[in-house]
Amino acid sequence: MSSLSLAAVSGRRPKERRAGIGVTRPGFAWAIPATLFFLLFAILPLVLVAVLSFTNWDGVTAPHFNGLANWTKLIHDPVMTQSIWLTLVLTVLGIVTQTPVSILLGVWAAGPQRNRAVLSAIFFVPLLLSATAVSVLWRALLDPNFGIPGQLPSLFGNGNLLGSQAGSIAVLTFVGMWQFTPLHALLYQGGARAVPQVLYQAAAIDGAGTVRQFFHITLPQLRNTMITSMILMVVGGLTTFDTVLILTQGGPGTDTTVSAYYMYEQGFKEFDFGAGSAIALLLVVVATLISLAVVRLSGYDKMRSTAEGI
Amino acid sequence: MGSLRVTVHNSATRNRFAAVAATTALLLGLTAACGSSGGSNSGTIHVLVYGDAANKVEKQIVDTFNKTSKVKAVLDTIPGADYQQKLNTIINTPQAPDIFFNWGGGSIAPFAKKNLLLPLDDMIAKDPGLKSNFLPSVFNTAVVDGKSYGVPMRGTQPVLLFNNKKVLASTGLNIPRTWDDLINDVKALKAKGLTPIALGGGDQWPSLMWFEYVFDRVAGPDLFQKALAGDKSAWASPDSQKALGMLKQLIDAGAFGSHFDSVKFTDGGSPALLAKGKAAFELMGSWEYSTQQSNNPDFAKNDLGYSAFPTVSGGKGDPKDVVGNTNNFYSVVKKTRHPDAVAAFLRLMYSDEFVKAQLGIGNLPTTTNTANFLSTSASPDYSRFQFDLVKAAPSFQLSWDQAYPPAAATPLHTAVQKFFDGKSDANGFIQAMQSLSNS
Repeated sequence: MSSLSLAAVSGRRPKERRAGIGVTRPGFAWAIPATLFFLLFAILPLVLVAVLSFTNWDGVTAPHFNGLANWTKLIHDPVMTQSIWLTLVLTVLGIVTQTPVSILLGVWAAGPQRNRAVLSAIFFVPLLLSATAVSVLWRALLDPNFGIPGQLPSLFGNGNLLGSQAGSIAVLTFVGMWQFTPLHALLYQGGARAVPQVLYQAAAIDGAGTVRQFFHITLPQLRNTMITSMILMVVGGLTTFDTVLILTQGGPGTDTTVSAYYMYEQGFKEFDFGAGSAIALLLVVVATLISLAVVRLSGYDKMRSTAEGI
Repeated sequence: MGSLRVTVHNSATRNRFAAVAATTALLLGLTAACGSSGGSNSGTIHVLVYGDAANKVEKQIVDTFNKTSKVKAVLDTIPGADYQQKLNTIINTPQAPDIFFNWGGGSIAPFAKKNLLLPLDDMIAKDPGLKSNFLPSVFNTAVVDGKSYGVPMRGTQPVLLFNNKKVLASTGLNIPRTWDDLINDVKALKAKGLTPIALGGGDQWPSLMWFEYVFDRVAGPDLFQKALAGDKSAWASPDSQKALGMLKQLIDAGAFGSHFDSVKFTDGGSPALLAKGKAAFELMGSWEYSTQQSNNPDFAKNDLGYSAFPTVSGGKGDPKDVVGNTNNFYSVVKKTRHPDAVAAFLRLMYSDEFVKAQLGIGNLPTTTNTANFLSTSASPDYSRFQFDLVKAAPSFQLSWDQAYPPAAATPLHTAVQKFFDGKSDANGFIQAMQSLSNS
């Protein structure tokens, strides 16, 4: 067979050259493992979760359908409603706090200053730590008796940071910022490096200072990077889980029970997989809608280049 | 010619497709094969336990059993905190173990109600020692609807009121024997600028321990048993109201300071408060001792004191009652093919070898022969204090979050935390408890 095909190919060589791609391009068969993997571990579970959300299942005995019971329960569940709000609040707070810091850090790290590489490496350390390690670390640092608040009562009052809703949200936002700013700064660093130098040179000739250059060249040029970073933040914010699990366990009370954590509680702590699945599906729907909205509103789907006209 | 090439090309594609498909099928087959190993084959019984340092003893007992038994025991461990989830996943599948570790009470009640567990009453009828060799207050924890489902297999962990002897001495206070003593101590300590009682409120379950003891002292064990059995009116009873009033009094007196929500036991926060003399008391399971031994060895050796929970005058509960983790248990899956071998294995749980080995790793077994070996324990005084306490206890109430099925644990913890924070009052707590699912 191989000799046959060789002969066939050699016989048609000139035409093959022209068609080119016909021979070298991998067939659909190559996509089958990945497609199967995706179907098996992404689409199938999603479908199963959708089915489970209409059942009552404790994970032990067979699930049985209970119609819309999980969904009606969810709609009337104040913790669920609150969890969606909390998730959105944490997401927005994450974007608002992380974006300015990471733009400044990233743009700075893109420059040619002395010691920049060393300092950047230090700034990026949190990126190497797992969310669990970060949460455990900050839990210890914020201990009211033996941590920072115990030493600075003038700043932290009685140090009961995790004893109120506002305090807990502030801690979660701060820890998220500490953890994720390096990743986004890295994105902005790459984005800022890609800005053509001619723009700055032209601006300098026209007499624009550093600040003006930043606002009129760097920021507009970073538009696509911003959208990428923002979508990552939205997705990350909507699925916030590990920091909540370790820092607050959804408390005090249910004050920081975000949707992803609520899903875990229902499914894996209370063994009510029907309710857990309903929350999961709701989260998928909400996250998809928000992502679509961000993509549409930002014009990301059109992928317009920031380098047009250069 | 053109048609030939197309054919060849197609057959090549087809072959490539076949190869890819075969590889994929092989991979899937391999993963499937991994899933179907295990289960109770003929001639073996599988023993599933929570994976931790105590496995040393479980391994030793399994080896002892296998020396004489034709049916061989195989020890399987599930490490870490996911034990209950994994157990839940396999208990009704062919991979289910024959014998499995659990916490009694709510951790097995759902399985028992679904008819997945083997009641041990027939075994006990044949060999009464399977029941009579254990302290009754502990054995009762694994009784569901009047049937026995478990045999104690590790150590008991009663909740005790720990204190810092140095702090008490320097403030001229004594260990509180009554509730009024405790309130007075709290006021005196607060006046000195100390946190009277260390509390890891961030973990939520340490706060629950206060409810368990105060409810038992005020109302006796029946109130909770009634509530657990489904009588929701128990939570609204005058005794319940009184207990909640006393807890409120304690919290409002500043007993726990103002930032207990940001403190945890599990990350060492509250034990450090006690060890460093910033707090005078901590209500905690008996594992406080080993925690302090590893974190603050000098404190554990010299200044860590312990006592039973104070009495409440006029309360209906016996002052000798205890709460906490009664013990861990071995329960048996109904589908086991070797009930006789299982019975023989369970009989080892009151053997002298078992008791000595458990004491050797710091656990306090709850068999009647434990008393003979207490002097061999690593800390004999502490072991004897606990053993006498548990032995004399008319009732040993399993922690509420384990007495209820797992589904109730989170809402229960939330209710407890809200009450301690002052975010809900007695009525709010009562309503939350009434809405717990008990099945």
